[in-house]
Amino acid sequence: MTLRDLVLVRLGVAVNLVMGQIVAALLLPVFLDAVGTILVASLVGPVPAIVVGLTTNVVAAAISGNFTWLPFGVIQVVIAVYAAGAARVGAFRSWTTALPAGTLLGLIAGGTAAPISLILFGGVTAGGVTLVTAVLRVLGVPLEYAVYVTSIGTDMVDKTLAFGLVFLILRTLPRHLAARFPALAPPR
Amino acid sequence: MIGYVPGDSPLHRAHPYTPLALAAGVFLAAFAVSGPRPAAFVVAAALGMGLLGGVLRHAVRPALAFALPVWALLLVVHGLRGPEPFVAVGPITLSESGLDRALVLGSRVTAILVAFLTALACVAPPRLVEAMTARGASFARMYLLVSTLTLVPRLRERAARILEAQQCRGLRLGGSPVARVRALGPLVLPLVLGALAEVDEQVFALDARGVSLGGGARRTSLWPPPDPPLERAVRWAVLVLVVTLYAVRLA
Repeated sequence: MTLRDLVLVRLGVAVNLVMGQIVAALLLPVFLDAVGTILVASLVGPVPAIVVGLTTNVVAAAISGNFTWLPFGVIQVVIAVYAAGAARVGAFRSWTTALPAGTLLGLIAGGTAAPISLILFGGVTAGGVTLVTAVLRVLGVPLEYAVYVTSIGTDMVDKTLAFGLVFLILRTLPRHLAARFPALAPPR
Repeated sequence: MIGYVPGDSPLHRAHPYTPLALAAGVFLAAFAVSGPRPAAFVVAAALGMGLLGGVLRHAVRPALAFALPVWALLLVVHGLRGPEPFVAVGPITLSESGLDRALVLGSRVTAILVAFLTALACVAPPRLVEAMTARGASFARMYLLVSTLTLVPRLRERAARILEAQQCRGLRLGGSPVARVRALGPLVLPLVLGALAEVDEQVFALDARGVSLGGGARRTSLWPPPDPPLERAVRWAVLVLVVTLYAVRLA
């Protein structure tokens, strides 16, 4: 990592942590806590993005006091690697590719989070997501299905929006700033 | 209150790695046990940590704020809809095995929360930085830990200012879900683009101070916290205990 990567990692972590404030103001039922990870992955690649994701996990736990989130750090690694790959194949060049790529990430991230939630916490991790799981359980849906459906469903919406936002950020990035990130250079 | 609480308890005076190792031990032990009784022991260990640190009240209050909704949801998800046989608990009937599972999972969450909130309350951040410096932690790790914690409140403040400014310009925060999603752009773009514009300035500032990530001279801690042999032994004992618990579980 270079000094620039380090400064970007710090920025990515802060963006991840601040997004909660914005979605709360808009009363949106999503987290968007991986926008910084996806942004850094698209700008400088997977390694700094993985550091963003893992640092976000630890700092969020330290700020909120909720250290039960630590095992979900692995999801941030998945997001970082996927987002860097998506950026490399040009998924952020238009809406029509960014949004489906985000939806696919939601499927993968939700599919990875569900077994962690199920095995380590019995599918109960607090927050609105678990409320949906509880409602499905009361309706008679088996636990495994309830956890997977809720986790994948919420993550697909969340990551589609996150990819859409990162696309918007990259598209509106002033040219003098974009020029400093070789990953944003158009394909030859 | 979440965060450091000044005090003079054995955990406050200990090397910062000791309370953190104890909390990590509780965290790992909480996942190693599988019955309600061993889980209760782990909760007792976490509460013991809180007592030793003299911060039990500070740790238990926020821990319960997080844990009580989890307990309620666990009873619904596992207790109400678990497999037969059912047992009467007051006015409601709950699945016996579901109740056991809910007790284990609820204890797990409670123990982790109490242990880490105790560690946070007993470890002064400057002492942790000194301890990490003394152990030769890399500049990158220290920078990320300390600098991010200072950046987050600044960015939060900026987000609040952008929110107010955009509302003055007519941005509506309510309305349909689509309208609210559309409002994300005017709020997120100025925040992130503004922060990205400052990246170079920060890189130059670090560079001008001679900061480099490739090796460099080892920094010297002015006041390295003492790390007596007894505390090192305690940390090793925690590691041995956790390994034993997992060995027993896997056997």
